[in-house]
Amino acid sequence: MVNFLSFAREHWANILVPMGFVIGWYLDKQQDQKLTAFRNKSALYSRELKPGEELTWK
Amino acid sequence: MNPYVLATLLFSLGLGTTLTFASSHWLLAWMGLEINTLAIIPLMAQHNHPRAIEATTKYFLTQATAAAMLLFASLTNAWLTGQWDIQLMSHPLPTTLASLALALKIGLAPLHTWLPEVLQGLDLPTGLILSTWQKLAPLTLLLQLQPMNSSLLIILGLTSTLIGGWGGLNQTQLRKILAYSSTAHLGWMVLVLQFAPSLTFLTLIIYLTMTFSTFLTFNLNNSTTINTLATSWAKAPVISSLAPLMLLSLGGLPPLTGFMPKWLILQELTKQDLAPAATLAALSALLSLYFYLRLSYAMALTMAPNNLTGTLPWRLLPSQHSLPLAISMTASLSLLPLTPALTALFTL
Amino acid sequence: MLMVLTPTLMLVPTIWATPAKWLWPSALLHSLLIALASFTWFKNTAETGWAFLTPHMATDPLSSPLLVLTCWLLPLMILASQNHLSSEPLNRQRMYITLLTSLQIFLIMAFGATEMIMFYVMFEATLIPTLFLITRWGNQAERLNAGTYFLFYTLAGSLPLLVALLILQNNTGTLSLLTLPFSNPLLLLTCSDKMWWAGCLLAFLVKMPLYGVHLWLPKAHVEAPIAGSMILAAVLLKLGGYGMMRMLIMLESLTNELSYPFIIFALWGVIMTGSICLRQTDLKSLIAYSSVSHMGLVVGGILIQTPWGFTGALILMIAHGLTSSALFCLANTNYERTHTRTMVLARGLQMALPLMTAWWFIAALANLALPPLPNLMGELMIISSLLNWSWWTLALTGAGTLITAAYSLYMFIMTQRGPLPMHMITLDPSHSREHLLIALHLLPLILLILKPELVWGWAA
Repeated sequence: MVNFLSFAREHWANILVPMGFVIGWYLDKQQDQKLTAFRNKSALYSRELKPGEELTWK
Repeated sequence: MNPYVLATLLFSLGLGTTLTFASSHWLLAWMGLEINTLAIIPLMAQHNHPRAIEATTKYFLTQATAAAMLLFASLTNAWLTGQWDIQLMSHPLPTTLASLALALKIGLAPLHTWLPEVLQGLDLPTGLILSTWQKLAPLTLLLQLQPMNSSLLIILGLTSTLIGGWGGLNQTQLRKILAYSSTAHLGWMVLVLQFAPSLTFLTLIIYLTMTFSTFLTFNLNNSTTINTLATSWAKAPVISSLAPLMLLSLGGLPPLTGFMPKWLILQELTKQDLAPAATLAALSALLSLYFYLRLSYAMALTMAPNNLTGTLPWRLLPSQHSLPLAISMTASLSLLPLTPALTALFTL
Repeated sequence: MLMVLTPTLMLVPTIWATPAKWLWPSALLHSLLIALASFTWFKNTAETGWAFLTPHMATDPLSSPLLVLTCWLLPLMILASQNHLSSEPLNRQRMYITLLTSLQIFLIMAFGATEMIMFYVMFEATLIPTLFLITRWGNQAERLNAGTYFLFYTLAGSLPLLVALLILQNNTGTLSLLTLPFSNPLLLLTCSDKMWWAGCLLAFLVKMPLYGVHLWLPKAHVEAPIAGSMILAAVLLKLGGYGMMRMLIMLESLTNELSYPFIIFALWGVIMTGSICLRQTDLKSLIAYSSVSHMGLVVGGILIQTPWGFTGALILMIAHGLTSSALFCLANTNYERTHTRTMVLARGLQMALPLMTAWWFIAALANLALPPLPNLMGELMIISSLLNWSWWTLALTGAGTLITAAYSLYMFIMTQRGPLPMHMITLDPSHSREHLLIALHLLPLILLILKPELVWGWAA
């Protein structure tokens, strides 16, 4: 337990960058969904996806 | 100085400016300016030093000249148009006279020559008052002078930015450099005055913030020449590592706060089809930038050799409160992302 | 986009919170992880070319190689600076890494910007960290002069650009890179329009740098610490090429006539700076002038505005970024051992540091564009598109290639071959850190041979 605590005290900062990655990834995903929703709603681009068709915007 | 006297003087200083803010009548506005001038004179002369006395005399003479000219302009206005209202100036003669008088009052080039001399004679806190609070009243009057001679203002603005940059180049005294920097910034404000008064206001506020933190930094280090800046890293390491950013912000480099007024002013000028004036003003900012850069070289980017005791003063507590400096420093470094909010805030 | 930007932002608190013992390893590890995350930008399947959209940023095939190069450079800079900062106090080391990280943040936002003004602000914002790198962390007293040159050359070019961009915004109503290509072509006839054209390009030509406005670059390179030289050569110069490619879309009708003097200057600069390299005694200065020479080709390739020209320019920019950065690292390993940049004093190093000679050899060959390295691909595409434009350019580009080969070999022979001078008996052997550093420069370069589509830009 003590070992773990001292380890955590020494290395807690290493979590920050991965955390930033996860936050950024989450925000990116939110943004993608927003744009996708817009695209599905717009008169110009909305269409049914063919079965098995990949989304082209990511 | 007796604290009662000091309080009275500071109160009158505030009263004069507020009176000018509040008045729509030329005579009252003039009175406010006079009260303001008379209140700061004892403050300037409080250290009984020949240079302070000289500075006070010079300040008194220029301000009295400007006030007399302003009184003459408003009397002429009353004589020509039959009313005293500040916002209803219609005749070009009194308008031009009044704007020239106000230019003399705030130190716009080519009427700026008193400013470095006066500022050099003062201690830093009084200098701070002179280059911030004392600009407010005349600038509000300038803002209210509506139908203005447009080329006069542009010429005043451009000469101020150019001379403000040029004059500071060969100075070694910080107060003179700050005086020239004040002239250059006021030039930017006047340049855009007739097109977007709210931008002038925004520029003024940002200039005040940056000047405030510059004066406080220099006061903290107790330095009035470039040479004494060299040891500032030993006195206040954090401040002296932030100081070059603050100075570059004063010079208007993105992504610091100082870029925001310059950017918005250039945008307004290009909208008004004044691209050559905008380019000239932008390039004249380089002149100012040169001496800010030199200050940052001296202050933080080089390290003066020092003996062992010389490197210790950071252990002593500074005699100055650090909160105002912290707030104004933060504001003068990082407001650029808040540009939309600030422009909305300062829309007149 | 934020997937890389937020970890980079979080790198700053990480640097300040890590214990002293772990500072360099953890900064290196995290920046390397960020660089790996940035590789996802290569996968661009969007129909419009724009991918990874956020409200203010996006990547397209032109910007993604430069973005990845930016992210790749940060771990390398950290790796390269470790030795020369080891004598500094801890907080200054942290400050230094923070400075490098802030540079990466600004560069990502510059290359990723979808709005010209945002690009401009970030383009300028990179000046401050670079200035501090040169003037605070350089070695000699001349660094202040170099910093002043750097700042004022760049700003004198880019302040007119700001005004020009604002004029463009008044005319078209937008500065968004997504919509600008589809706006109506501007009618540019008057003399002031020609001034506007020059204003739009001047900043980038100074940044590239074009021969004639290049004087700031050798000074900055010579005086900057190793990380400053690396980022300057590898990424900051490329801001100029990138900006030009973005701007030229709007300058269509005027560029055909007005670009002649600039192309001539660029190609003449290839010869001139190459000749300067041939008689250079200062190693870092030689590499800096060789950058100017390569960037001259890039300017030529961009200004004739053909797809091949653009593609060649982008490939050469990426390849040159890795090569010149590797050369600066090699020069720095010499400098840290011999404490001189003068080649006469540090020659014959093959005897002392044999494995380093292998790296020098590869880097020098990459610099002279040996097949099949991407350097050659870029140069060939630019040369052939210039040839297609005018036969006469072959005289300049051909001579330029010859001179490049000559000075690269001169540099290699001068530093590596021959007898070891008597005063250099006790040199440190090369560290694994240094081998890793050079390998991380040259391996991507070699791997790009296999998949050059990644850096083809719009042509892909």
